[in-house]
Amino acid sequence: MIDILFAFATAVLPAEGTLAIRARAVWTGAAVLENAVVVVADGRIRSVGAEAPRGVEVLEHPGVLTAGLIALHGPAGAVGETSDGTRPALPEARVGLAVDPRSVELVALHAAGITSILVTPDPAGITAGTSALVRTADGSILRDPAHLSLVFSAEGLAGNRAPTSRSGALAMLDELFAGTRGHVADAKAGRLPCLFEVRERDDVQRAVAFARQRKLAGALHGAALSGELASAIRGSGLAVISPVLGVGTPRRVLDAVAQLAKEEVPFGFGLDAPWNHQDSLRLSAVLCLRAGLDRAAAWRALTANAARIAGAGDRVGRIERGLDADLVLWSGDPLDLASRAEVVFTRGVARTIQHAVPAPEEVRR
Amino acid sequence: MTILPKPAAAAAGLLVATVCLAPEASAGDGRLVIKVGRIVTNAGPDIENGTIVIEGGRIRSVGKDAESRWDAEVLDHPELVAFPGWVEAHSMRGMDRPNENIEVAPFLDVRDSIDPISFYFEDCLRQGVLAINVQQGPLCAVGAQGRVVKPFGLTIEEMTLRPASGIKISTTRPGRSRALQAQSVRRAFRDLRTHLEKLVQDKKDGRDTARREALFQGRDPDTADNKKGRAMEGSAPWKVKDFEIVPRGHVDEKQEPLLRLVEGKLMAFVSCDGAVAVVQALEIARENGFLANTVLVLDGDAWKAADRIAEAGVPVVLSPQLLYTERDPITGKEIETFVPGVFREKKVRFALQSLNPSSQSLWFQAATCVGYGIPRDEAIAAATKVPADILRLGDRLGTIEKGKDGNILLLSGDPLAVTTNVQYVVLDGNLVYDRSKDRRVMQILEGVEQPNAAPIGTDDAEDVDPHSGEKKTKTPKKD
Amino acid sequence: MSLLPIAFLALAAQETTTRAWTIQAERVYTGTGRNLEQGFVVVNGGKIAAVTPDVGGDGGRPRDQLRAYAVTAGLVDAGVRVTNWFSVEQSSEVTPHLRVADTLDPFALDWDRQVRNGVTTVLVSPVDRNVIGGLSVVLKTAGPDSIAERTVKADAVLRGSMGSDPSAGNRPASGRPATFYARRPTTRMGVEWEWRNAFFTAAENRASKDPGTSTLVAALQGKLPIFVQAWVTQDIRTAVFLREEVQARPEFAGMNTPRFVIDAAAEAWKEPQLLVRSKTPVVLPPFPAEGRTREGAQMAWNVAKVLEDAGVPFALSSHGSGEVDSRLAMQAGYAMSGGLGFDSALAAVTSTPAKLLGVDQRVGTIEVGKDADLVLWSGEPFQPGSRVVATIVDGVLRYEGWTAVQGAALTR
Repeated sequence: MIDILFAFATAVLPAEGTLAIRARAVWTGAAVLENAVVVVADGRIRSVGAEAPRGVEVLEHPGVLTAGLIALHGPAGAVGETSDGTRPALPEARVGLAVDPRSVELVALHAAGITSILVTPDPAGITAGTSALVRTADGSILRDPAHLSLVFSAEGLAGNRAPTSRSGALAMLDELFAGTRGHVADAKAGRLPCLFEVRERDDVQRAVAFARQRKLAGALHGAALSGELASAIRGSGLAVISPVLGVGTPRRVLDAVAQLAKEEVPFGFGLDAPWNHQDSLRLSAVLCLRAGLDRAAAWRALTANAARIAGAGDRVGRIERGLDADLVLWSGDPLDLASRAEVVFTRGVARTIQHAVPAPEEVRR
Repeated sequence: MTILPKPAAAAAGLLVATVCLAPEASAGDGRLVIKVGRIVTNAGPDIENGTIVIEGGRIRSVGKDAESRWDAEVLDHPELVAFPGWVEAHSMRGMDRPNENIEVAPFLDVRDSIDPISFYFEDCLRQGVLAINVQQGPLCAVGAQGRVVKPFGLTIEEMTLRPASGIKISTTRPGRSRALQAQSVRRAFRDLRTHLEKLVQDKKDGRDTARREALFQGRDPDTADNKKGRAMEGSAPWKVKDFEIVPRGHVDEKQEPLLRLVEGKLMAFVSCDGAVAVVQALEIARENGFLANTVLVLDGDAWKAADRIAEAGVPVVLSPQLLYTERDPITGKEIETFVPGVFREKKVRFALQSLNPSSQSLWFQAATCVGYGIPRDEAIAAATKVPADILRLGDRLGTIEKGKDGNILLLSGDPLAVTTNVQYVVLDGNLVYDRSKDRRVMQILEGVEQPNAAPIGTDDAEDVDPHSGEKKTKTPKKD
Repeated sequence: MSLLPIAFLALAAQETTTRAWTIQAERVYTGTGRNLEQGFVVVNGGKIAAVTPDVGGDGGRPRDQLRAYAVTAGLVDAGVRVTNWFSVEQSSEVTPHLRVADTLDPFALDWDRQVRNGVTTVLVSPVDRNVIGGLSVVLKTAGPDSIAERTVKADAVLRGSMGSDPSAGNRPASGRPATFYARRPTTRMGVEWEWRNAFFTAAENRASKDPGTSTLVAALQGKLPIFVQAWVTQDIRTAVFLREEVQARPEFAGMNTPRFVIDAAAEAWKEPQLLVRSKTPVVLPPFPAEGRTREGAQMAWNVAKVLEDAGVPFALSSHGSGEVDSRLAMQAGYAMSGGLGFDSALAAVTSTPAKLLGVDQRVGTIEVGKDADLVLWSGEPFQPGSRVVATIVDGVLRYEGWTAVQGAALTR
């Protein structure tokens, strides 16, 4: 959080207008292009090519241009508003309504190159409501509701109110899914994906069985060792949101995440900001490289796959014509933790990030 | 497990203690002839159809044919097996309370807290444990002196086999850091040294405070032994110069047992709940000259320091938990280690402790060792000969041989089988236990009817309607 | 010179393929009454293919050999409980349709412990905090990492309890903030009331589609046994009299044939005629060291022999206790020290519980066609001087103790 005192953004261009950005490298998500030019107009990506069109202002940058990062779990933007244990089933609660666009956590995330974040309700009871995908630049909503949260971990249980047991929780879920209206009906019909909150591997097994039985789509969040059940998860079509990883994370967990990639299970990382530092999102991906995850897969987890898991894969996560211009100019390779975000674009509006400590290149001058 | 309330227990205990004596027991003259189908001498091959002659409380002969006096009392049981009593190398049971609150209290003696009618000693008899080294618990730095007792007798004097069997030292204490505890133990010895040096200095300066203190403590400083001074004996690396000028009677009675320990005249039973504690214990013993008289009482992962223990040449008493379980931090699986196997491999002498005095006693522990691969004679030795040697009673206990104490168990079968019972116990040549008269056995092992339940075997109870208390008129439908 | 391996690990689930085995033992205790000295048990495809004194010329595929002193069928424990608090739904005291299988974790370490102690099939029940806690499941203790795939019989037993366990934690509503624990029952009679209320209400609404009611109806019709925990005499009587009442009353016509089994029947030995007359089998808890179990029940070590003499079918169990001295094999040993013969003790931990659970077609004895669940021993089973040296579940070797133990070896 102290970083935000040093990060300071200024707008560079108004929303209307066309801008061409030339960077030393452009990571489209499908390929890495050298010295390419991305043209942004009316908040969207217009084209990706080798030359800038005539008459358009060009922003030259010696670094790397990529899509903005997407963090997939946590209360950032609505801290203090995401936990409600009063009733075990609150399927209509929408955490998107609690997001404060000016909240300080969003500024910190933005300065780290994270352009959108999935704000999620804390697991409580059997369902705590729905999640929302929020832009960090201005707190605007990309998608709300994004998922229906369903709790399969022991966190949903309590000693003094129903459900006190897993079997009771399952019975309550069955009752909930007998409903014909609201978010539950949308989930049953496949219009609203589900966010399955899990912790242990047996939680994952129960959630997968439930999803298959009712043909639900969505993602499993919170079980560090999900990857050990990767083939079962793949068979269900669900994605995985891995908990954020750190320097002390056991190797077994890193191997499990790499296993997800091997079994072609789409996954992303849940940052749980502000409880974890915003740079931990990139750190999580980098640590998995040690376990053999390849760079392209690590990058997808931070961008394209994360966008799909959040239900906005047609809008953000890649540099492709027609998608929203949520972009980041990095001082260097974004999978090198020494690099930093220098300019962050949200729907084409650029903000320069100023860091108190100069970037490595500047020092060498 | 519910235990009977204390007053009832005490009363019941007294009852049983008196009832345990068989009516034909001799009035304690220690003469008995035992004829059995098999003698497990524990000192060589078994003897079939053997005879044991006990006189004056000691075994006079063991063999196939043995002559005996014409007026000797004979216990003739060809269906039973004779076996030497089991020896408990260390126990914290049988006392009023196993721990004291005082940190350094070597002047205390378990004699004052042993309860002769405790159920524990009854259980020992029943399970065939005939010698128990009672020591204080580990909640101290330097604790009381222990005592080896027999599980029979109404006074502590009658029970005692050997007084002052050793001082309890503890290198660990729950709620306290190891460092603090180690310092407390070291300080006790430092205080001893300081005290002795002060005695020397006072003597040189002509002060008589020590003599006055001795009188105040009730000791007579003028007896032959107390008047004499001698140089510090033993192999401690530190010695107090000129100590011979101090009359021995002037040494404070609170410090005197520690001095005896340092001089090699007393044993130390040091409890260690982990490998680190073992290292500390061995260091402290070396620093103060009592390594040769040290026995380590182990618990937790202390077995991991087996190499150090082997190097130091000290014997150990193992934790009652023979299997040590820990989780592999990487795979999460449980790893079990059979602790006696570790010590056997490192050639360290080890004695076993009972897990539970009333059902999983020493026989059970020895049997468990056999199950994990220890040869049978070694497993039995670990609960008989080895603890006897550790307690310096190897010439009296542990085997059925001429000259040893007349302590014999008469068993209904193999000593390590779960179906075997202790039928009779002979202690010092006197019959002190007869299973057929043991009421508590009948209660625990064979069931005794409760006063307010229906007696077994009658149909009265089931014909009464539980709601009205009336006799039932209808017969219930068949399935 | 005997090698004495010091540490040993349970085999991880790397053995995923069933193997073919030839097991040689000096004592093959089949549990059928026919025992072999110097016999062979042949395993194929996860099932027992042959039990013979002579292995003969087997021209089939090559087999792995195992040899130990004795082999028995895998032990069956009818009294395993999941003891964590979230195994039973306490927001209601009567939850007949909830399944404990939904609460189990196949990765838990408890299963490995069971396997190391020779237990291959267990009935897992919810902890007895509810009057009627739900449906227990019969499982193998090893197998694929999935409760569903280890299940031998789902919804095998309806579990409930008499006595004071279900009322513990409840208190009368008076002045304190209300949670659902401020409720009945708070006493034994309250517990019994809940039972009869559940039964009578089910009888009144027997056509209802409510899952709780239909479970109770099925249980009252005898389609699945009802395991009732009852430690002391008065609770055992209460259970038996309740059953007899159901059998006699007109309200229960058409659903008056419940099958009761008394679990933790520590004081069953006091009134065995009651159990014989009502044809109620029992499951015994671990033998206590000092004569009294929890709940103050008095249980002597000759209980098993008394019940056998009286003709009450009984199984031994560990009652879910994880302690070393409560393990099932030791219970058989203690029963023998109380006078029970070896064959009866073996039955009490294998074939009898298998029958009580309705899975005796698959497990409980060493017979051709049954599941290859086998335990190899270093000496006579159930003696503390011998131990489990190998456990095979569905033909897969799931635990291997030592090699080269003093001649009473497990050798390959």
